[in-house]
Amino acid sequence: MNRRKFLGLGAVVAASAIIPASLSATDFRKTKPKAWTAKKVDVAIKEVFGTSKTTKGKVKLKAPDIAENGSVIPVTISSKLAGKTVALFQDANPEATVAVFTVPANGLIDYSIRIKLAKTGVVTAVVDVDGKLYSASKTVKVTAGGCGG
Amino acid sequence: MRIKAKEKKGITTVKVMAKHPMMSYDEAKKKKKEANFIINMDAKVDSEVVYEVSTSQFLSKNPYMKFKFKGENKGKKLVIKWTDLKGNSKTGSKKIK
Repeated sequence: MNRRKFLGLGAVVAASAIIPASLSATDFRKTKPKAWTAKKVDVAIKEVFGTSKTTKGKVKLKAPDIAENGSVIPVTISSKLAGKTVALFQDANPEATVAVFTVPANGLIDYSIRIKLAKTGVVTAVVDVDGKLYSASKTVKVTAGGCGG
Repeated sequence: MRIKAKEKKGITTVKVMAKHPMMSYDEAKKKKKEANFIINMDAKVDSEVVYEVSTSQFLSKNPYMKFKFKGENKGKKLVIKWTDLKGNSKTGSKKIK
C-alpha cells in the first residue's frame, strides 16, 4: 500500500472515533418521548435509562417529610458518584418523570429544584453511572395538592 | 431571570430563578388556558456546558434551581438559557463572583 493511501486511512479512522456518544438532556424530549408520558415510575426509569433495575444507596435525596404547599416542594439530589445522567421521578402526578439532568464534564451532582406534587407520594432520584443505576426515595406527605387542586 | 453565582475553592454554586407560569396540562384545563412550561434549561461558561436539565410540567411556578460545578471560574460570564413547550426561549447572564 503506498504511503499516501495509508495516511488517508488513518485520518478516516480518527474522524469516526471523535464522534461523541454523550446523551444530552436537551435531546431527551426528542429521543425519549415515552419517558415523559410514562405514568408509572419504573416504566419511566426504563424509558430514560434502558433498565429499571436500581441499587439503593450512594445517592442522597432531600425533601420535606410534610409539604404544606404541594405546589412548591424543595428537593435536593446529591451524590459523589461520577454519574452522567440524573433523573427525578414521583408517583403522585399524572406522569412519573419530573426532570432529567445531564452531568457535564465539570459538573457536580448537587441539584436543588422545586417541584409540584398533586398528593402524597414517593419521590425517587436515580443516578446512572456507566449503565449501573443507583437510587434514593423519599415519601413526601402533601396536605394541599399542588397541581392546581 | 435572577442569577447568583459564586465561586469558592474551585466550586461554583449557582442559584437561578426563572420567571415562568409553568402551567401544567391539568392546570391549563382548569383555567381554560394553554399549557406551557419550561422543558429545558442549560448553563454555559465560555461556551462550555456546565449544567443541563430536561424538565417537566411538575416544576413549581417561577422555577428555582441550584447547581454546582468545578473549575476556576471567578470573573467569567455564566450564561443561562431556557426553552419552553411553545418554543420561546430566554437567556440571562451573570459574572461569577
